[in-house]
Amino acid sequence: MRPILLQGHERSITQIKYNREGDLLFSVAKDPIANVWYSVNGERLGTYNGHTGAVWCVDVDWDTKNVLTGSADNSCRLWDCETGKQLALVETNSAVRTCGFDFSGNIIMFSTDKQMGYQWEILKVAKEHTKQINDIQSSVDLTMVISASKDCTAKLFDSTNLEHIKTFKTERPVNSAAISPIMDHVVMGGGQEAMEVTTTSTRIGKFEARFFHAAYEEEFGRVKGHFGPINCVAFHPDGKSYSSGGEDGYVRIHYFDPQYFDFELEA
Amino acid sequence: MRDTDNMEAEMEYDDGEEEPSFSDPEDFVDDISDQELLGDVLRDKPQEADGIDSVVVVDNVPQVGPDRLEKLKNVIQKIFSKFGKITNDFYPVADGKTKGYIFLEYSAPSHAQEAVKNADGYKLDKQHTFRVNLFTDFDKYMSISDEWEAPEKQPFKDFGNLRHWMEDSDCRDQYSVIYDSGERTGIFANDVKEPIEVEERARWTETYVRWSPKGTYLATFHQRGIALWGGEKFKQIQRFSHQGVQLIDFSPCERYVVTFSPLMDTKDDPQAIIIWDVLTGQKKRGFHCESSAHWPIFKWSPDGKFFARMTQDTLSIYETPSMGLLDKKSLKINGIKDFSWSPGDNIIAFWVPEDKDIPARVTLMQLPSRNEIRVRNLFNVVDCKLHWQKNGDYLCVKVDRTPKGTQGVVTNFEIFRMREKQVPVDVVEMKEGIIAFAWEPNGSKFAVLHGESPRINVSFYHVKNNGKIDLIKMFDKQQANSIFWSPQGQFLVLAGLRSMNGALAFVDTSDCTMMNIAEHYMASDVEWDPTGRYVVTSVSWWSHKVDNAFWLWTFQGRLLQKNNKERFCQLLWRPRPPSLLTQEQIKLIKKDLKKYSKIFEQKDRLSQSKASKELVDKRRTMMEDYRKYRERAMDMYNEQRPLRLELRGVFVFSGGVWTIIGEKN
Repeated sequence: MRPILLQGHERSITQIKYNREGDLLFSVAKDPIANVWYSVNGERLGTYNGHTGAVWCVDVDWDTKNVLTGSADNSCRLWDCETGKQLALVETNSAVRTCGFDFSGNIIMFSTDKQMGYQWEILKVAKEHTKQINDIQSSVDLTMVISASKDCTAKLFDSTNLEHIKTFKTERPVNSAAISPIMDHVVMGGGQEAMEVTTTSTRIGKFEARFFHAAYEEEFGRVKGHFGPINCVAFHPDGKSYSSGGEDGYVRIHYFDPQYFDFELEA
Repeated sequence: MRDTDNMEAEMEYDDGEEEPSFSDPEDFVDDISDQELLGDVLRDKPQEADGIDSVVVVDNVPQVGPDRLEKLKNVIQKIFSKFGKITNDFYPVADGKTKGYIFLEYSAPSHAQEAVKNADGYKLDKQHTFRVNLFTDFDKYMSISDEWEAPEKQPFKDFGNLRHWMEDSDCRDQYSVIYDSGERTGIFANDVKEPIEVEERARWTETYVRWSPKGTYLATFHQRGIALWGGEKFKQIQRFSHQGVQLIDFSPCERYVVTFSPLMDTKDDPQAIIIWDVLTGQKKRGFHCESSAHWPIFKWSPDGKFFARMTQDTLSIYETPSMGLLDKKSLKINGIKDFSWSPGDNIIAFWVPEDKDIPARVTLMQLPSRNEIRVRNLFNVVDCKLHWQKNGDYLCVKVDRTPKGTQGVVTNFEIFRMREKQVPVDVVEMKEGIIAFAWEPNGSKFAVLHGESPRINVSFYHVKNNGKIDLIKMFDKQQANSIFWSPQGQFLVLAGLRSMNGALAFVDTSDCTMMNIAEHYMASDVEWDPTGRYVVTSVSWWSHKVDNAFWLWTFQGRLLQKNNKERFCQLLWRPRPPSLLTQEQIKLIKKDLKKYSKIFEQKDRLSQSKASKELVDKRRTMMEDYRKYRERAMDMYNEQRPLRLELRGVFVFSGGVWTIIGEKN
């Protein structure tokens, strides 16, 4: 597959998101700039400037009108996607770790390090992982969610009742996982935390994104290329490509070869 | 000096609080006995001298008249005062001559015991051999009851077939795995597809495990001692109590176990090293030990009949089962630096460094005769290392020398041909520093790693029958710091462990070809299975905290399995006992090998297809279940479509009817 390398950040990537149509890819990193790129060729559309600290999360609404970012500067900001103008700022009492739009794009949510003081009705709790969960992403049709954890596994849940369906095991902590929109595949990215690595393999680009078959829980492929642990992975909504953002500050967009779609594990 | 009376008054607390009371409450009863608290001090408490405990009776003393009495007394004094201070003596007399037995009293009972131990059987002259006994023993023997009670029969503990693992129909070898940083220990049978768990226990050992040399027992370490496990179910067969044990060693015949603990030693009662009988569990003998730096301290002869250790200027050889010194004395060898047994015969090789005008030399000594069958002088020696070939066919002495007039150190290998008359010695000169050396087991080749990083070379030599040692092949620019031969010979693995990041090279030395070059990143250990079919490389948690796993390779370097184990520490193959087949039987089997290999290949093919069929079936069921689940999910998804459209402003619900504003989803 041919990878497109996006160099727009000076620090490690924290999250990447496609919009609903998939033509745009948003990336945020530990530097204060949020970027948006054309996913077809990697050309940068623009930046959203205003944050003063590491940006931990990003989301775009279904209509690609607004962009939401949350940052370590204790703020969550709403931007106009097309112009880059900051529309709103919500101040919080600590760093914002996740943020998102709801299905309609009318409601936003965010969570911070400290408790917000709001009471939520907890519908369901699922405790399947043994160590901290680094990322949760849902499938395009919202029926399933996949969680990536430091305990070196990713787990697939049904989103209505949080029933644990599948587990995908690796030997390294998993930082992020995503579900393919068209195939029975999941992709996982991870690696040893930068702090904990004392020696790394001297081979360049050893950090890999790993593909598992969703039904068989078996790994069938790996994509090398990152120079550091992979922090975030995302499938293009049409399932024909995927992207990964790493600790090395690069975002890589990969378009699958035709063989990927024909590949079948013997059954 | 401060007046202690005023101490209490002077003690003040910053916040003006009352001083807390440190006395025990009124009715407190101490539940620790004096014995526990002050055991060692109490041991030295002066005992009431009972008197008779320190008395020995010596028999077969020459009967002399009063004129020779003084001389006799002097002789007795000389002999017996070696064991302690004689406080009293009594020479009963009858008819003007001494009766032939005497009484001696020592200052302490321990001296009397020493006298009994050492002087009993002492030959004074041809007619008189002393018999020495404790006075109290007489009493004991006199009062033996006439009724003889047979000792109670101990119930027979059936441990089952201790060689059970050898009967595996697929000839799988076992190995022990310690993981979870020592919390869990498991025994697995090695199957090509994946390891089969035989037994797994939590906290089976507190530090690590050891197999006995023939694979019969698994030894585990605990604070209080060692436990031996074996049989089909790994039941506990034996237990040895040795507080704080750190190291163990087995005799090659598996009859004895040697344990070392730095804690237990006292002057009177040597307990640092203890030798145990495995089958009975009895403590056979204890020894002092200054340092455990070069374990094993006691080295065993290959047949288990002797064991020896080296101390300053002395080589002490003991024999089994008596555990006494061979010929009742140690060998005095001035300056002895190192020794080792031949793995094939009862021969010891040792070396002594230069001493003024006498050159350094290596000596081969036959035991128990103590004949020096070969002595080799070496000049300008800095250091020597002894390397025996596995069968004892050859001995290689690696000699580091500083030739006269030069500053640097060069290395020679002195190869002793043990199987030839007069043990001829050939010399191989090495131009570079030596990193590693290893003999081929069962063969006559050896491999040497030499040079300096990054230019490390490996050379293969063949010790030929005609007296020549040929360099067969040399490979340069190797990433290796260790050599691992297959236990059957012919194949070896060159490994760059630890700092060299786990580079591996698989070599066939019959034609010196590199079969495969591979890498197990950060590998810390390489272990061949006892048959020489498989190699395991592993990354131990003790040396590297990430990626702890063990990988299984064929002897040709084909990777078969990668087994990740959480905090994996150590893997040890279970050794096999020597084959029960005779040489003729082995020859017959080798002749018919084609016939047997056909049967095995068919068996392998069957199990492979069975495995893939199993896998295929499993996948089929998984897919079916998954499909069913997805169908259910999609049904629900489709049902909720209108809700979604409404959220995004496409549908509107009014008058009980959904109307589309503009098709958008």
